[in-house]
Amino acid sequence: MILSLTDAKLDYPKTTAFEHFSLTVASGEMVSIIGPSGCGKTSLLYTIAGLLPLSGGTMRRAVGNDEVALMFQQDRLLPWKQVISNVLLGLPGEKTEEAADLLQSMGLGSVIHHYPHELSGGMRQRAALARALIRKPNILLLDEPLASLDEQQREMLQNDIKEYVQDHSITLLLVTHSIQEAVFMGSRIVMMTNKGVSYELHNQLHGEASLRTRDEFFTMQKTLRHHMEASR
Amino acid sequence: MKYLRGMLVVLLLWYIAAFLIASPVIPFPHTVLMYAIGQFFPQEMHLHLLYSLYRILSGLFIALFFAIPTGMIAGRVPALDRLISPVLYLLYPLPKIAFLPVFMVLLGIGDLSKIILIAVIIYFPASVTIRDGVKEIPFEFLQLAEAYHLSRKQVLKDIIWPAILPRIFSSLRITLGISLSVLFISETYAASHGLGYSIMNYWVMAQYTGMYAAIMLLSLLGLLLYIVVDWAERLCVFPKVK
Repeated sequence: MILSLTDAKLDYPKTTAFEHFSLTVASGEMVSIIGPSGCGKTSLLYTIAGLLPLSGGTMRRAVGNDEVALMFQQDRLLPWKQVISNVLLGLPGEKTEEAADLLQSMGLGSVIHHYPHELSGGMRQRAALARALIRKPNILLLDEPLASLDEQQREMLQNDIKEYVQDHSITLLLVTHSIQEAVFMGSRIVMMTNKGVSYELHNQLHGEASLRTRDEFFTMQKTLRHHMEASR
Repeated sequence: MKYLRGMLVVLLLWYIAAFLIASPVIPFPHTVLMYAIGQFFPQEMHLHLLYSLYRILSGLFIALFFAIPTGMIAGRVPALDRLISPVLYLLYPLPKIAFLPVFMVLLGIGDLSKIILIAVIIYFPASVTIRDGVKEIPFEFLQLAEAYHLSRKQVLKDIIWPAILPRIFSSLRITLGISLSVLFISETYAASHGLGYSIMNYWVMAQYTGMYAAIMLLSLLGLLLYIVVDWAERLCVFPKVK
């Protein structure tokens, strides 16, 4: 167990983001979190990242804050820094070569000295992802990282992230609006409302290369869609 | 090129005024220019120019030295801002030039009182502009810094400083004009050098050509400083941030 939340609750001054939320995540697991807008998915990730303290319940994490990397929904690249400096944000200069290699492997080798506004949406998201990965996280938190991309770019980046996370045995928590993305990325798909987990699905075919074309891929999406409708 | 166009327009208006008024009170630009060139060294105009430049640059640097931390603290620490901002608002509108005699008594009649007066006048608008710049830094960037465990020093270097640099330059542009006017007034008291002194000296002697030559140099000094600020901004501030 790398992460465990028990009866977790998060209050904002005027509203409750989520409550009665319990989840246990094993090391190396890839968990997709879906749910209706405003159910507290992003707040949940911020809590796990240590940005927001829980108002109730408990969270146990087997790793320190610096082993958790959060990739925000918007890329949040600093406009005054080149791609390489954005990736190295807050890290010592010795990591420069490593960062350049990582960017190269992510297809950004030719733009490491470009500024964010000179990149396409997909490239920006890749740079933001590199900024999270260079920290060698044990837990990677992704908050709808691909929402702003077109379908082709989204699928390419989904493949790349999945492969990287599996190869490096990283524990992944992915928040997404897309049921298709949740099924492709997650070995477990957790559906949440602001009253806690409403449904869970284990994806037995998660490791299959042909997942996208398998009938079960669509069946799982249908099941999740059905439960999503029912929980509204 | 844009500066050349501006100069041509001013010269044209000057020629029209000189032609219409046709009095020694408004000499023709070419007469003034010839005088300024011919008398630049004999009449020590270069010294007046250098003195003025020294006073204005010293005033600017002292003002920014204090305004940058004031603006940063007011922008970052709301509890202190509740104290700092009302003080700034109370003192900002005071006619600081009226305190020149006080500065002269306290700091002497030399350069220091003139420099401090310029610094005090620039300090207030610069502090307010920088404070607003810090407050406008997107929360998303500060949250990013927290998520990626940046130290206070790194937040200052990588996020706050680059975000407020454009504000510092715009406050410089706003205050340069004010500081040049103040420079003129401060140099008319107890000075033996400086363009303000030179202008008033020629005025007293009713030497209008010399007076206009000194005014022209003061204007060119302003233009030069604006060009330097623009150039430094292009060098330091990433275009997309402006």
